[in-house]
Amino acid sequence: MERRDFIKISALSGVMATLEGCRNAEKQFIRFVPEEELVPGIATIKPSVCTVCSAGCGLLVRVMQGEAEVVRRGQQGLIKMGLAKKLEGNPQHPVNQGKLCARGQASLQMLYHPDRITHPTKRTGARGSGEFQTINWDDALKEVAAHLGTLQASGSAHSLAFLSRPLSGQRVELISKFLKVYGAPPPIWYQPFDEAVLRQANLLSFGHAALPTFDLARADYAICFGADFLGTWNSPVAQSIGYGEMRQGRPGRRAKLVQIEARMSQTGANADEWIACRPGMEGVLALGIAHVILAEKLAPQAAAARTGSLIAGWQEGLPGYTPEAVEKQTGVSAAVIKRLAHELTQSGSAVAMIGGPPLAHTNGLFNALAVNALESLVDKNSVLSFTPQVGDVAPVQASLAALHGLSAQPPQMLFLYEANPLFSAPPALHVREALAKIPYIVSFGSFIDETSAQADLILPDHAALESWMDSVAESGSSRAVVSLAPPAVLPLHDTRPMPDVLLGLGRQVGGEVAKALPWATYDAMLRAALVPLRTRPGSIDVKTDDDFWDAAQTQGGWWSSPSISPPVPAVKRAPLSAVSPQFAGAAADFPFYFLPYVSQSFGDGSLAHLPWLQELPDVLTSAMWSSWVEINPKTGDRLGIKQGDLVEIASEQGSVRAAAVLSPGIAPDMVAMPVGQGHENFTRFASGRGANPLSILAPLTEQETGSLAWAATRVKLARTGGPEQARLVLFAGGMSGFPHEEQPR
Amino acid sequence: MPATAEQIEQDLLRPLFQSSGKYWIAVAIATSLLLAGVAAFGYQLYSGIGVWGLNSPVFWAFDITNFVFWIGISHAGTLISAILRLTNATWRRPVTRCAEAITVFSVLIGAIIPLCHIGRPWLAYWMIPYPSERHIWPNFRSPLAWDFFAISTYLTGSTTFLYLPTIPDFAAVRDVSTGLRKKIYRVLALGWQGTPRQWQRLEVAMHIMAVVIVPVAVSVHTIVSWDFAMTPVPMWHSSIFGPYFVAGAIFSGIAALILAMALLRKFLHLEQYLRPIHFENLGKLLLTMSLLWFYFTFAERLTAWYGNSPPEMAVFWESIRKNFAPLFWTMVVCNFIIPVPILAIKRLRTITGTAIASACVVVGMWLERFLIVVPALEHKFLPYSWGTYRPTWVEDTLMASSFGMMALLYLLFSKFVPMISIWEMKVGLQSHGGVPVVVPAESRPVLEGPQ
Amino acid sequence: MAHKWGMVVDLDRCTGCEACVVACHAENNIPTAGEDQAARGRAKHWIRVERYWEGDFPNPRVRFQPVLCQQCDEAPCEPVCPTYASYHTPEGLNSQVYNRCIGTRFCANACPYNVRFFNFYNPEWDKPLQLQLNPDVSVRSVGIMEKCTFCVQRIKAAEIQAEAEKRELKDGEFTTACAQSCPSKALIFGDLNDSTSEVARLSSSNRGTKLLGELGTKPNVTYLERGTWDNASHG
Repeated sequence: MERRDFIKISALSGVMATLEGCRNAEKQFIRFVPEEELVPGIATIKPSVCTVCSAGCGLLVRVMQGEAEVVRRGQQGLIKMGLAKKLEGNPQHPVNQGKLCARGQASLQMLYHPDRITHPTKRTGARGSGEFQTINWDDALKEVAAHLGTLQASGSAHSLAFLSRPLSGQRVELISKFLKVYGAPPPIWYQPFDEAVLRQANLLSFGHAALPTFDLARADYAICFGADFLGTWNSPVAQSIGYGEMRQGRPGRRAKLVQIEARMSQTGANADEWIACRPGMEGVLALGIAHVILAEKLAPQAAAARTGSLIAGWQEGLPGYTPEAVEKQTGVSAAVIKRLAHELTQSGSAVAMIGGPPLAHTNGLFNALAVNALESLVDKNSVLSFTPQVGDVAPVQASLAALHGLSAQPPQMLFLYEANPLFSAPPALHVREALAKIPYIVSFGSFIDETSAQADLILPDHAALESWMDSVAESGSSRAVVSLAPPAVLPLHDTRPMPDVLLGLGRQVGGEVAKALPWATYDAMLRAALVPLRTRPGSIDVKTDDDFWDAAQTQGGWWSSPSISPPVPAVKRAPLSAVSPQFAGAAADFPFYFLPYVSQSFGDGSLAHLPWLQELPDVLTSAMWSSWVEINPKTGDRLGIKQGDLVEIASEQGSVRAAAVLSPGIAPDMVAMPVGQGHENFTRFASGRGANPLSILAPLTEQETGSLAWAATRVKLARTGGPEQARLVLFAGGMSGFPHEEQPR
Repeated sequence: MPATAEQIEQDLLRPLFQSSGKYWIAVAIATSLLLAGVAAFGYQLYSGIGVWGLNSPVFWAFDITNFVFWIGISHAGTLISAILRLTNATWRRPVTRCAEAITVFSVLIGAIIPLCHIGRPWLAYWMIPYPSERHIWPNFRSPLAWDFFAISTYLTGSTTFLYLPTIPDFAAVRDVSTGLRKKIYRVLALGWQGTPRQWQRLEVAMHIMAVVIVPVAVSVHTIVSWDFAMTPVPMWHSSIFGPYFVAGAIFSGIAALILAMALLRKFLHLEQYLRPIHFENLGKLLLTMSLLWFYFTFAERLTAWYGNSPPEMAVFWESIRKNFAPLFWTMVVCNFIIPVPILAIKRLRTITGTAIASACVVVGMWLERFLIVVPALEHKFLPYSWGTYRPTWVEDTLMASSFGMMALLYLLFSKFVPMISIWEMKVGLQSHGGVPVVVPAESRPVLEGPQ
Repeated sequence: MAHKWGMVVDLDRCTGCEACVVACHAENNIPTAGEDQAARGRAKHWIRVERYWEGDFPNPRVRFQPVLCQQCDEAPCEPVCPTYASYHTPEGLNSQVYNRCIGTRFCANACPYNVRFFNFYNPEWDKPLQLQLNPDVSVRSVGIMEKCTFCVQRIKAAEIQAEAEKRELKDGEFTTACAQSCPSKALIFGDLNDSTSEVARLSSSNRGTKLLGELGTKPNVTYLERGTWDNASHG
């Protein structure tokens, strides 16, 4: 029997309550009849898909029978149901091959989180007051449908907006189609650390507007400009698998990793050689290395024909990028530049990567194009490739520009799905004011956060493990990967899957929308979209669509046979000259570069509500449950700041306070803060904790793509208190050889 | 020096029959400290040891410090009493029972403390070797199991050693009491009539106990020191710990004894019995122990410093010049710098002088235990997991209540047992070189006062 | 031959991602301490990734070192437990018998690796987080020591399964939670007595060292040293 039917039965046929023998009427626990058959003590393993970052790793969920307190039809009781106990990587999944990162492991806590929204709720107090009242689904959906109908009838269909974190798979299709046929603008995909710059660069350099895939197991040398590829960037698990192979997976052959960044990231900590480069000058550095390669003919110039043509001066051998000139601009010595050029070309095959802070400058695109050119020059073994895509659907791109649109012209109705611009977008973008002007906001998210607290109506989605999950991998494999999984567990609360709710609303709206989305439930839509893959060469070889559908659910998806990317034609575009990065704040008043970085624990802040992650010691500072500011020890000495002191960082936009951590891995003219804490309102574990570095960012953007240049803010720094006020919680006690780190008493 | 045997009896039995207001105030204070400790312990039982300041990696701190401290104090009695008996030092006579009482009570407190500091005290009986239905015995390789045997042996031995010489005094009380008191003391006196045969048996028994109790005492504190030395923890794993702890125990024991004697002398008006000569002699012993303590400490620290092993040096510097330096140097001042001049210069070696020196030593020796335990645990081999420790009010209360318990037990003891051995004082009076003299029953006075 | 469980930690593969830390928490019902208790030093990470800095900017170096219970053959924590709660199993594990532990904490002091943790309070989970608890692993109550068990519940389950199927255990058939999650395969777990197992092969690598081996604890975890990149060897 299909799980969908289980859910239907429980919803439609009501509940058969069995009263246990009782003495005390008040202590009766109603026992609901179990809705599935499980053998106690025996685990069932079910596939699923991880949603906490864009990599889309495949999961296996260990489900075992347990007893849960649930509310069914307004009655509280106990039910024996399958409970998710542990997540593992799906060994068959091409992206993560059975492995899973810390955030993926922790995502299990989203399912059983104590602050999950358990019922549809309607706002009763003022917006943002947090006063909500439970309502039932029928009334809630009627209300939304009514609003949609009114909007359409009054000719304001264009005034409906859908703001969501970037999604993948058929949810994108569903939301896009709904809006399009309804007459509304396309969905606004928003996340603070979007990769618009890199996708644009890759489109120009390689013909793919997509995140890159690196098969590091084929590399003998990796030079990485700023990308925390072992931590949080792109497809960290796939990249880590490749890294392991690159180091010790090939007997007698160990690759070298050179990391170039101004603040040592977790990835940088693993480098054989770590090189500090002036912020925003990474592109210039890459071209300096390329200059040496071209000048000494260490690699054929034709190897970088397309990518090089995008850089002004390439054909002439990059005359403006002599090692001496580059040394002046980047702070990296000419000797090192020359040596890197030789090492890159003498190794079997090299790869050059860029991501993270170098792209988050006003000249980010230039930096990316420069590194892409270097990459073509040195990559002899196709370490870089692009994951094949199925269909014409390009990976969803988050963009700040669309958010601008929201601010410039607030819609009359907004659907909100797990996007939190009130937390992560710079206040200078006036998102708060924009939301205040929107008369009706409906949120589908499972949690109250800063943005969803502004909703008028909340229609809580199922947790990912309770939902039909699908995603398409944008990077991380040489195969096309479509992940698919039925719900691993039955719903715990009175929630409904967002796609099903949208389909239902579509039917209520009627007309073209209902016609365009004819499926009763999301899994029917999934099935229709996926079964055409059966005829492609791939991981499932069966004769019928039914067999294909069953096999895909069992396996956790479908993936193609490995394929080689077809060559892409040359692009016509004026070559780009070096552009210097612009910064917000005069250097005299704001002497430090400010780097908010994606946290290994919280990502972009959307995972700060998970207690396992709050307690996870940051691997470089060992901090838990805290915010901190990384400061070079010499800077600390100069400004009288000791380990654990409370410091204030101020930009032109505002200021935040957090504990100081003295770190040798950061330039003396830079300070860094992890992103993720500083939530005003995000469950009991994250609310009121720490400080949010995104709140003081200037709204500078990358000049060509309009992407937020989050590394372009300058700040000033001052001590404002002692350790008792800062309350930094460290897991590590001490560390020999680095005296600054010992805990003050 | 009292003139007659009757005078002795009268002076030494008086506290049993009369109490001043100050006595009851002292009892009240001690009892409330003890009750505060009971309440704190109840809170700890209910919530967990989390109410203390312990953490990872400092899993022992005040608990083990107090345990070692009290076991250390216990070396007063046995060693003073036993060794002075064996060496026939006649000046010991008024001192022995005070000393033996300190021993018994501090061993008792020392035995109670571990029961209160384990995570699941209701299962402490698993440390007793009994044939269990699970066919499992305690782990005899464990120094804590050794502690169990050593301390129970010592408690038994020192109680016996306290009790035996008290029998004639119980008989003395019995003979001047009436009613319930007489019944109780008759039981306690075990039918003592003071016959020569009984005296001879008593002497033999006490001689045996005196000989036996010395190695027991030495082994107890050695075994307690092996709670530390039998681990690889840097600065714990040291072969000097056995002798070091024993010497330190005797040192703190004598100091506690001097303090107790000074207080008894003042509050029970025993000026004629506890005379300057006693304080002088004990003071000389204390001086010797102070020098010995200094020698051991210096030898231990010098070898560690000379060896320059990084894990040990990390702990070493913590005490010498880093976070624990204030406590460490206070300890040196309290254990050596203040006591030595006071005790070495005859003019300063007065009752007040020795009492001051002793008070310093008690503080200093507590600090010494603390400084052995905590800096080492805070800084073991892997610097990433170094930690810090701060006590909480629960640990402070428990510690204070251990002092309250000691005071209360001592106060109650002084109410029920003559603090100074009557028969030994009489023997001293006769100046018969240690041969006991029987005092005829008719000449014992009947004391007035509440029965 | 009886099994002897061991692990290899390849420091050249370890990236410091701490997937192992979270996986262990999820598998072994480790309670979250919360901010206050964590600030007081009571966070329980059965496996932790230690990080050591060397040098200063602009040439800092970092070393990562995952540390977990070394399951020592000559464990200093075993002789000191008065109730045999810390006990060496015939398969080479240092087992912590929860219901025998009376909480003297002697073992934690004796352990040179600081891998033993104490339950200072009764663990609590905000409902319904307790639904995630693994039924195969005991929840430890107040006053009890705990530490890495090499996922003994998985070992036992695999052994029972193999016995029921009347066959030998295969290398790689199961593994610990930490090793299973580690993306770069820095953690390898298996039977040291199985000469064909990966862990046995890697344990004898010439890059292998033992953490604090000079103390004579005879750990069953072998650390493979981080590699170096030598220009000459790749000329």
